[in-house]
Amino acid sequence: MIKKIIDAKIHSVLPDFKELFHYKDLFYTLAWRDFKVRYAQTTIGLLWAIVQPLITLLILSLVFGRFVGVKTEIPHLLFTVAGMSLWSYFAYVLTNSGNSIISSQDMVKKIYFPRLIIPISKAIVGFIDYGIALLIMVILMIYYGIGPSINIIYAPFFILMGIIAALSVGIWLSALTIRYRDFQHIVPFMVQIGLYITPIAYPAEFAMQQLPKWAAPIFYLNPMAGVIQGFRWSVFGGAAPGNLIFVSLGCTILLFITGIIYFNKIEHKMADFV
Amino acid sequence: MNTTAIKIENLGKEYVLGQKKEGSLRDLLSSFFRSSKREKSSFWALKKVSFEVKKGEVVGIIGKNGAGKSTLLKILSQITKPTEGRIEINGRVASLLEVGTGFHPELTGRENVFLNGTILGMTRKEVKAKFDEIVEFSGVGRFIDTPVKHYSSGMYVRLAFAVAAHLDPEILIIDEVLAVGDAEFQKKCLGKMKDVAQQGRTVLFVSHNMNAVNSLCSSCVYIKDGELEGQGGTGEIISRYLNSTELNTYNTSYDENEMPGDEFVRVTSIDIVNKKLEALKTINIHESFGIKVSYQVIKKGSFNPLVNIHFHTSKGEYAFVTTDNGKEGHVKSKGNYQSTVWVSKNLLNVGFYNIDVAISTLTPVIVHALLPSVLGVEVIEDVNLRDNDYKQEIPGVVRPKLNWETIKI
Repeated sequence: MIKKIIDAKIHSVLPDFKELFHYKDLFYTLAWRDFKVRYAQTTIGLLWAIVQPLITLLILSLVFGRFVGVKTEIPHLLFTVAGMSLWSYFAYVLTNSGNSIISSQDMVKKIYFPRLIIPISKAIVGFIDYGIALLIMVILMIYYGIGPSINIIYAPFFILMGIIAALSVGIWLSALTIRYRDFQHIVPFMVQIGLYITPIAYPAEFAMQQLPKWAAPIFYLNPMAGVIQGFRWSVFGGAAPGNLIFVSLGCTILLFITGIIYFNKIEHKMADFV
Repeated sequence: MNTTAIKIENLGKEYVLGQKKEGSLRDLLSSFFRSSKREKSSFWALKKVSFEVKKGEVVGIIGKNGAGKSTLLKILSQITKPTEGRIEINGRVASLLEVGTGFHPELTGRENVFLNGTILGMTRKEVKAKFDEIVEFSGVGRFIDTPVKHYSSGMYVRLAFAVAAHLDPEILIIDEVLAVGDAEFQKKCLGKMKDVAQQGRTVLFVSHNMNAVNSLCSSCVYIKDGELEGQGGTGEIISRYLNSTELNTYNTSYDENEMPGDEFVRVTSIDIVNKKLEALKTINIHESFGIKVSYQVIKKGSFNPLVNIHFHTSKGEYAFVTTDNGKEGHVKSKGNYQSTVWVSKNLLNVGFYNIDVAISTLTPVIVHALLPSVLGVEVIEDVNLRDNDYKQEIPGVVRPKLNWETIKI
């Protein structure tokens, strides 16, 4: 027999993870719904998921590789696709989870389930984009005849950190957007800026050379700066990232924990706000 | 063995007005700079509510619109948190405040069954096991693989209810989910709910339909202005509720985005009027009165929606039903309509009457809008105006003046 106590005075700091696990099928169903609906009624359907990153990649490489002439140890296209794979995942989760609770307000107002499922399910749908970008990367690696470095064993760690970074910013944004609708306008702006201030199409060292010393840690406050640099290093090797990468990783963990706590704090009021 | 299913102690819910809608960053920023807190008005949607529900009981929750019933259900279903008090729930809860939550128009019926089922707390395995039963119950059969955006509103509601009806909770919380849908399906739903009740589950049922409450529930909780007004046997509580003056409502109108109805018809306002179409606040047995229903046809269908009005006595029995006798087969085009029925003088006896207003098409039967107990009127009388000297109470639901002939034979 399940016993449940609802008490106005008791506020738990952390969410009920056991309950989240009980709803595991809902993660799957919501993610699958988003996927099904995403390209419904489009003519080329899933092809969009390939065309979009491909064109972004070409443009980035054209601007940074050709016009600006950024020097990289591996072909610039390959250099960029590694960064872009994680970035496009991050951008997808940000864009979609920010609005996620408001766009499911019918559900939020009428049915109880752990609300955390909504932004997390967006992080699951994003795997498709990530997978496609990785596929493009593998194809390019074969084309250039460049194999993975020995560091590849660290890749899962950086991918995991990328997922946590996306998730934590997504959780923060979904909770904040309910209270402050201003974030609906801030998110696209953040994604746009992020594409430039994150070392996607240029090496982080390149930015370090141009920036004054005091600005370097600020550059790494961006969780994706360290994650992308680390991921690229794990795939292609080269010079190991400096200690500043830990600023990024620490930032990610901090955002993740505080995000979950903040979300949990306002979860019970969400139905009153939306 | 614990026999309590739900125990509610001192429950209260405060809403801060103005905070209900979205906040803004500006408010947040300006609150940093201003030391004096802005006066916030608030109201208590629920206050000091305590009661207990035993296992296997079917409890009706009754009260006027806005009394706090929905807030109570929202707290019990954990959608919102109480401001005060404590609740203890023993058993798995499923709540059904609306059917079809989470349905996505682009997905097929089959996909939506899985989606809706998992949203309601079932696992995919459980949905799979009951899938055939759900489709059978809904009657949508061969359309199950069609996107639900192509469904009629009737099919949509049927499929949605079918999913909900196959939940297997120990405690079921139901809001008035049967407001729209054809009569036959409503009967099926009530039947299904009776089955659930007979299986020994605990059910909390909110409704304005006193007949449904009467036939389903063994006991009732009556909520008035956010407070517990009474709890006890269904019959006793219903009659207390129906006899209370709080039900007197002589008019009601709806805001643009809250008009009840379906995709074709929406009710804008309902008024009790006199011959000059002026709003009435009292009804005198010696004068006729009108019930004016204003509505919009927002989408032209192939049918003719007609207003029908149901009168109930304070005991919950039907007095009579009257329907707009507009021509069958005539199709109403888009636009605003106003239908008024005149209740002749000396028809209803002195006393309290509950009035339901519905707008429906008769062939095929489609209920576009159903507003149970939307009006409550008291018919009064000045006994000095009687045409005889008898001043005592005269019993009966109706009190028509009939033609008498007396001859000496």
